[in-house]
Amino acid sequence: MSDTIAELRRQREEVQTRLAARFGADSPEEVSQALNALHDRLIRRVLELAEQEMMRTGRGKPPVPYAYMLFGSGGRAEQTFASDQDSGLIYADAADVARSERNRTAMHGNADCDCTFRDDFVARSERNRSAMPGIASSGCTFRDDFVARYIRAYFLALAETAVGYLKQLGYPPCEGNVMADQPAWCMPASEWAAKVDGWFEEPSWENVRHLLIVADGRCLAGDRTLADGLKDRYFRHVADRPAVASRMAENTLRHKVLVGVFGQLLAERYGASAGTLDIKYGGYIPMVNAVRLLAVRSGIRATGTLDRIAALAQAGVWSAAEAAEAREAFAEFLRLRLLASAPREDGSLPSGGQLPVRLLAREDVDRLKKALRTGKKLQRRIERETRAGFGGR
Amino acid sequence: MVKKCLIVLGALLVLFPTMAFAADEPSAGTLNMGLNALWVLVAGVLVLLMQGGFILLEAGSTRMKNAGHVAGKTIFTLGLCSLLYWAVGYGFAFGPDIGKFTGSGDFFFNPAIAAGETDNYPSTVFFVFQLAFAAVSLSIAWGGFAERAKLSAYLIFTLFFSGLIYPIISHWIWGGGWLAEDGSQDFAGSTVVHLTGAMGAFAATILLKPRIGKFNKDGSANEILGHNQVFTALAVLLLWIGWFGFNAGSTVAVGDGFFGYVAFNTQLGAAGGAVAALLISWLVNGKADITTMLNGALAGLVAITASCAYVEPWAAVVIGLAAGVLVFLSAKFFEKIKVDDPIYALSVHGAAGVWGTLANGLFATRTLVEKVGVGRPGLFYGGGAHQLWVQFVSVVVCGAFAFAASFVVLWAMKKLIGFRVSEEQEIIGLDLSEHGTYGYPEQMKKAAQG
Repeated sequence: MSDTIAELRRQREEVQTRLAARFGADSPEEVSQALNALHDRLIRRVLELAEQEMMRTGRGKPPVPYAYMLFGSGGRAEQTFASDQDSGLIYADAADVARSERNRTAMHGNADCDCTFRDDFVARSERNRSAMPGIASSGCTFRDDFVARYIRAYFLALAETAVGYLKQLGYPPCEGNVMADQPAWCMPASEWAAKVDGWFEEPSWENVRHLLIVADGRCLAGDRTLADGLKDRYFRHVADRPAVASRMAENTLRHKVLVGVFGQLLAERYGASAGTLDIKYGGYIPMVNAVRLLAVRSGIRATGTLDRIAALAQAGVWSAAEAAEAREAFAEFLRLRLLASAPREDGSLPSGGQLPVRLLAREDVDRLKKALRTGKKLQRRIERETRAGFGGR
Repeated sequence: MVKKCLIVLGALLVLFPTMAFAADEPSAGTLNMGLNALWVLVAGVLVLLMQGGFILLEAGSTRMKNAGHVAGKTIFTLGLCSLLYWAVGYGFAFGPDIGKFTGSGDFFFNPAIAAGETDNYPSTVFFVFQLAFAAVSLSIAWGGFAERAKLSAYLIFTLFFSGLIYPIISHWIWGGGWLAEDGSQDFAGSTVVHLTGAMGAFAATILLKPRIGKFNKDGSANEILGHNQVFTALAVLLLWIGWFGFNAGSTVAVGDGFFGYVAFNTQLGAAGGAVAALLISWLVNGKADITTMLNGALAGLVAITASCAYVEPWAAVVIGLAAGVLVFLSAKFFEKIKVDDPIYALSVHGAAGVWGTLANGLFATRTLVEKVGVGRPGLFYGGGAHQLWVQFVSVVVCGAFAFAASFVVLWAMKKLIGFRVSEEQEIIGLDLSEHGTYGYPEQMKKAAQG
């Protein structure tokens, strides 16, 4: 298996180097698209390999359908050359398993030859239930609990394998531990639903952060319907609780666009990164946050920022001109962020989005300033609208 | 009843003996002198209180490992400065003039125990007041020494600075020297006290070179944050309060209450500096910087020091506002040319001192110039460029002399006995290397273990 991973890593580096060389020739959107297609392909392949590894080690096929979710930049299909992992896993509930098992047996007979002890267990439990209706309720709880625990352990192991492979592939783990191998982000659909309900119920700072993470969730592999179900629930809540949207606004507006009152760039002044502009947190992220907020408020389910901008124009939230301006600004951030993360000559990957302002050409600086001003304008507008709608604090 | 009356009468006699002896009423002259003496001594004490400001300012702006040293050395040099100023400094500043360059006489000052018939105040009071100024100038210079000079350097520099350099400059402008002759206006010492001190700091920081870790190899600067911003803020308030003694006390008379006008202008200048500095840092850097704002308040005070008795209130506001912006730009400039100025002495006392002195050449009004009786009105008040030129000359000459003299003293000391502590000493901190104990024992020991 490690050979295969090494080969994938080699492929990744090769394609990334090629993509980095396409800068200038192709538009940043094109490069970003190609790059994210590569990331998606690699992560899907890693999931296949992880499933194979589970089989090889005798733990069998996934017991129930699941959806592997990407959050953060992966969810938005805006990963750079060096993005970290933000992921989650939704799997079908144990109760649903039994139903699907029944269906399967009904349809194909007991055809599955790699029938594991789990299938066996479920089948037996089913028989017990029908045979002894009197004790069904207590026995049922015990059995369901056992199955649920088993399934949970299975998917945590699967995710752990996948996350481990991805680390070997050069995707560093998420600092906030938003990863499928963490119990908090690897749950059955019913628990996800309950969690999202709870987050909406009590929009504390941390909970709102989680809601913002889920907003960018995108199903990369597996059963789409699981992800869609969660999103349905999410957007019903958003529609019912406009106040939560204002909490989202407060949460996301804390990253300020790094442009001053005179239109000047607000670069780092001290330390090793003196003279660089934090393009990630001072341009890209504020814009992502602002657009996400408007999209979520308007019930738009697209996760990519450019897609969201297009959808906002389509929904009439923005005029065509506003959308075009936002699109232009965001494309600029995308470009510079990719540039700041592009592999160096020696093949190493720089971390973060620090852009050395001094190395930018005059016209690049002007374009950057214009984009930042657009970002700032957008932020201001959201601030104003939030205040108008919900009052200041 | 009679008994009660007698007791009350007795008590009143004890409290107010003049009721019994109505003779010996003081003359108007004596009353006037007494009031002046009282005010000037109170002002002198206020200026002395500014040392508390310097202790907190310097300690708050530097790191924990140097806190005890930074604070303690201020008190030590205050003592040494007092002895020196008594022995020789006062004599050079205010003794009988020799060739308009220096005073000479009154060494080991031995004043009369009371004021004479025609005196405005006793010379003892004047001495205390002037000594407090000399000590302020010295403490300003320490800004350039901070966190890396040896303790012996403080001792030696005090000898020359308080004994010679500062007294000579104060003689030039206040003691009847050649700049006083020219009509140079420096009411309370933007140049004499602040610029002179800043030049000492400048010479020191150049000779010492930046602190370890201040600048990177590629020339970019690191921010070495002070360990306690609350100290720094409190320091500014102490200095601000003390400044009323500094400026308003410089009328050295109660007279018609003109010192109130001086105090009034002082407040406006300080206010302008604080507000402008916060706003400019907010506008330019995107964050409202506390340190810059505090420096702005001090810069406003420094700038208004020269002009507080010469300008109208609106001009005091303008002078303060400009000082606030100037201190921000100046700090940026010194960092750019890689001069490490830990306490911002060069910007607060140097740049703002120059501006305040020059501002007289622009804003001094005819009425106030006549009232104070020094120089001519400024450019905006029909005086032409004459006063501006005089101010310019006094800034350049005093600045150059203070810098050159300080530089020579410190350079010679550097060659003969060394100026800076070793790298190891600087890293472990001056508290331990110079004094053997930490200012913050618990915290520093914990840090050393961790």
